[in-house]
Amino acid sequence: MLELDDVHVAYGGLKALAGVSVKVGAGDFVSIIGPNGAGKTTLFKCISGIVAPVQGTIRFDGQDLTKVPAADRPHLGIAHVPEGRQVFPNLSVLENLEMGAWTYAGRRDWTDNLEYILGLFPVLASRRDQLAGTLSGGEQQMVAIGRGLASSPRLLMLDEPSMGLAPTIVDSIFERIVEIRRDKKLTVLLVEQRAVEALQSCDRGYVLETGRVVLEGGHEELLSDDRVRKAYLGI
Amino acid sequence: MNDFLINLENVLQALSAGLLLGGIYGLMCVGLGIIFGVMRVINFGQGDLMMVGMYCAFYLFTTLGIGNFLGAEVGAIVAALLTGPIMYVFGLLLHRFLVSRVTGVRVAGLEGEGHYAQLILTLGMALILANGGLLLFGSTPVSIKSSLSSSAWEVGPFVGEFVSIFVNKARGIALVVSLAVAAALYFFITRSRLGKSLRAAADNPEAAIYMGIDVDKAHRMAFGIGTAVTAVAGGLVASYYPFQPYVGLEFVIVMYAGVVLGGLGSIIGAFWGGMIIGLVQQLATLVLPTQLQNTAVFVVFLLVVFLRPQGLFGVNVTRA
Ligand SMILES: Nc1ncnc2c1ncn2[C@@H]1O[C@H](COP(=O)(O)OP(=O)(O)OP(=O)(O)O)[C@@H](O)[C@H]1O
Ligand SMILES: [Mg+2]
Repeated sequence: MLELDDVHVAYGGLKALAGVSVKVGAGDFVSIIGPNGAGKTTLFKCISGIVAPVQGTIRFDGQDLTKVPAADRPHLGIAHVPEGRQVFPNLSVLENLEMGAWTYAGRRDWTDNLEYILGLFPVLASRRDQLAGTLSGGEQQMVAIGRGLASSPRLLMLDEPSMGLAPTIVDSIFERIVEIRRDKKLTVLLVEQRAVEALQSCDRGYVLETGRVVLEGGHEELLSDDRVRKAYLGI
Repeated sequence: MNDFLINLENVLQALSAGLLLGGIYGLMCVGLGIIFGVMRVINFGQGDLMMVGMYCAFYLFTTLGIGNFLGAEVGAIVAALLTGPIMYVFGLLLHRFLVSRVTGVRVAGLEGEGHYAQLILTLGMALILANGGLLLFGSTPVSIKSSLSSSAWEVGPFVGEFVSIFVNKARGIALVVSLAVAAALYFFITRSRLGKSLRAAADNPEAAIYMGIDVDKAHRMAFGIGTAVTAVAGGLVASYYPFQPYVGLEFVIVMYAGVVLGGLGSIIGAFWGGMIIGLVQQLATLVLPTQLQNTAVFVVFLLVVFLRPQGLFGVNVTRA
């Protein structure tokens, strides 16, 4: 479904990605883990078109994404739940979700999607008219995920959904992600610092370090890998 | 009629004059406010875009014969309203070929986010419009004359046969039209899907792109609407006020003050900011010489900025 081949990205002189290749098949749950500054967010921005690769190809369903303007990519079925949530602070919860439904598919499925999202995160139902900027971090993360779902995506990309959240909330967010994937038969691409949770929920994973994929494999394989255990699982 | 009643009449008269003026100021401010609110660009050319709008209304009324065809009264209003769509297209073109080069996603990462370039570009645009106007239209003041601008409604008397206020018909109609346009815009921005997408693009352009919103298009639309709204306000002013190509300067200060007063980024706030300036200007005449009208405005302006720096309607929602 999504295929990145030898992608290079540079910010000015600084190389953030140096030849990254990642493959995500339809229906897969793929996790990318790695330390701060490894280039995980950059990789996501590259898929969404916010930054352009200097070299390499990105294909989505066989189509060359680099030729598609950033704002057209969500319409193809790519939902990006960005790092730090990035909700629209001066829009209400409901309006945030409506903006998620800006895509053609999201517009078509709006009523069903809204019901599903509010079922998934019942707190949002009681907060629907509150400005999103005044929500707690956990609630904002729910809005951000809900907003992604409202676009009726086929590929859901989540960038550190656990960032800055209390452990119990993190657990429930991860449970919701697994639930969403099961209900909607979505393809999921997850970036996480919390390697344990990320690797446990995924089918396959990649380890990214300083702009390079240093390791990839099935989730059992990565969870039992010595280097991963030492560096990321603290075992 | 005793002193009290005379004073009362003066106050009411000033209040009504303030409301009439403030309503028009409010609409002008909304135009500037929507451009700033969505694009975060300070448009120094806004006053001169208004001037172009005024001439647009003037030529629609005279040369194109709307005044003869519909009669001076209705014609003046129709000319002002028609200025809207025409100036919307003008705004779109300006954005497409000039403004977009120094704004939006393209300059997001630049030093000062492109503000220097924006300042120079919009200031340059202002000068070109004003001087271009001088070449094309000449420096003799013109106005759209109708019987409305020289007749008034009497409201009252409120106390026995005393205390009436007089509302100039052209200004009264201009106020009603201005309120209607502002209300329509308010519903567009708060209720419609497209309006919400403009606010989303303003709140967080990057996230808006993740939603599939074309931020460049949203900016263009905001610039077009902002130009059109201020131009309609100009067209309404033209129905009672003689003007020349430098008229923009007279109003541009009012617009900035109104937008800051209302709270940068708040479109409703911009309207009330303009309204307050109109009221202060007129009420100040009760106690101050006319030359000090604008001084009063700036005193109020400084007070608000001092006591409530985010403006009257500014919201301080922390960005996630
Ligand atoms: N807009 C930018 N301009 C310049 N350098 C940038 C920019 N964004 C990211 N970088 C640099 O690129 C590198 C990769 O950053 P990126 O945000 O992709 O890392 P990350 O893996 O997501 O880190 P984290 O886990 O902390 O979120 C870092 O060295 C960062 O400083
Ligand atoms: Mg990151």
